Amino acid sequence: MFEATELNHRNQRTEKLWRLLFLMMTLLLILPVAVILTVLVVKGGPSLSIDFLFTEPTQGMTAGGILPALVGTVWLVVVALIASVPIGVAAALYLSEYAPDNWLTRIINLAIINLAGVPSIVHALFGVGAFVAFFRFGTSILAASLTLAVMTLPVVIVSTREALKAVPQAFREACWNMGATRWQTIRKVVLPNSVSGILTGVILEVSRTAGETAPIMFTGAAFFLPFLPQSVYDQTMALSLHLFVVSTQVPDVPEGLPFGVALVLIGLVLSMNAVSIGFRMVLRGKKKW
Amino acid sequence: MLRSSLSAFTAGAAFSLLILAACGRPADNGTSSGRTLIQNKGSDTLVNVAQAWAENYKEVDPTVAVAVSGGGSGTGISAMINGTVDIANASRAMKDKEIEAARGNGIDPIQHVVGFDALAVYLNHDNPAQSLSLAQLVEIYAEGGSAEKWSDLGISIPGCPSDEIVRISRQNNSGTYAYFQSRVLGKGKDFKLGSRDMHGSKDVVDLVEHTPCAIGYSGLAYATPEVKLACIGEDAESCVEPSVEAAVDGSYPIARPLFMYTSGQPEGAVAAYLQWILSDAGQCIIKNKGYAPAAPVSCS
Repeated sequence: MFEATELNHRNQRTEKLWRLLFLMMTLLLILPVAVILTVLVVKGGPSLSIDFLFTEPTQGMTAGGILPALVGTVWLVVVALIASVPIGVAAALYLSEYAPDNWLTRIINLAIINLAGVPSIVHALFGVGAFVAFFRFGTSILAASLTLAVMTLPVVIVSTREALKAVPQAFREACWNMGATRWQTIRKVVLPNSVSGILTGVILEVSRTAGETAPIMFTGAAFFLPFLPQSVYDQTMALSLHLFVVSTQVPDVPEGLPFGVALVLIGLVLSMNAVSIGFRMVLRGKKKW
Repeated sequence: MLRSSLSAFTAGAAFSLLILAACGRPADNGTSSGRTLIQNKGSDTLVNVAQAWAENYKEVDPTVAVAVSGGGSGTGISAMINGTVDIANASRAMKDKEIEAARGNGIDPIQHVVGFDALAVYLNHDNPAQSLSLAQLVEIYAEGGSAEKWSDLGISIPGCPSDEIVRISRQNNSGTYAYFQSRVLGKGKDFKLGSRDMHGSKDVVDLVEHTPCAIGYSGLAYATPEVKLACIGEDAESCVEPSVEAAVDGSYPIARPLFMYTSGQPEGAVAAYLQWILSDAGQCIIKNKGYAPAAPVSCS
């Protein structure tokens, strides 16, 4: 048999070293997440209770619960999704299934990538100008959610396109050869086979929408509101802004309270994600290739 | 055929819903499902008091809801100029240019003084000093100030053998900290390192009470008989004892009025709200938050 030479040994040692290095980098990636979650659970856990979730803040927001902020964030996320998912998916369908590869399409692609890179505070100012002032929605859930929708649109478009691209071209060709139109192909073959990927984009959007503070600060979120929003034209409190407020603006807040708010915010995002992930798993089980 | 048109209908419906939502904004701006809404925005100094007022007003008149936003005096004033708020909070008066801009938009801003931000300098009862000048406070608190020991100021405290000045300050996100910095130290000047930074106004007073070497600043409303309030002046001779009256007449140097602006003379719900704010109930709330009331008031 082969005798391992000095060179082989050296190669093996280098191989192990690189492997170890990459492993360390991966663990390094998990470290901050683990630390954040641990700190939040340890410091914020004790302030969590049913009352914390379902009562209004009292005593200058240093006591009581976070109900209006929790409800507000759900409103903002849901309205933003209703606005951005249909538009984003439609745009991705056009770009991926219909558009020819010419200079116009390439410019549109470039614009989408650039839109994703615009800082959220710039989106906030755009929202104030466009939705609050020009369309006269005032500071409202509608204005804030549309601002969030514009901001997260690139995420939806890009992830939807990736999902559509993952559907094998042969599927489409087979369908066309049966005499199906493009729309029939999309509806019967492309969309059903890419829903799980599209949902991934929606998950990402939910996480980002719920956590953003800047875009809603001037467009719809209030420091304090003594009632729950009744329609999209109402202002609202939001968890992300509430977290900012209780940790920096309000004096004499008990130490556990901001951590409790942060824990609820992360919990809300994770549970919304869990629902989408559940959907994904069911749908992926139906995949035929 | 029927199916594809159905799907097209669904897609179309999503868009038309959006457009309908866009056009359907109710004309009556001030009401939300049978409730009168007052928009209140502005000063971060006042925002916590404004929040407390809004929270308590719910019990006074449940048909009125007050939405409070912060962002700073400038934010509140520009919202007043644009006509998007009913009441703007400000810890400074509107500039002439701003009033002109508002008039240009058909808005006539009316100024209401709702309280004072008056800071007292607290000393331990063992401390023999009666008065401190603003210059002395700068030497004590500001970066580069020369006073490190009480003897540097010619003061000797019986209970303080170390002679060291124990500086008590506030955490840097407090409005008290910001106002003391800009009024006493001067714009852009920093605090000396090594101060004890308390998280609450009351904590400052408590610590001064138990520390003979200490000096601290906090809202006038936190004064207790167990601590001494320094008489403050430009120099030691012309000092003014801190009091609500001295804050109101402007003679006490570390005090500023806090304003609410309305467009024109307030009417209806806004008038009732402002009247309640200036009543004993409203003024006791601002006093509890550590500010001086607009006029002397007795609270339980």
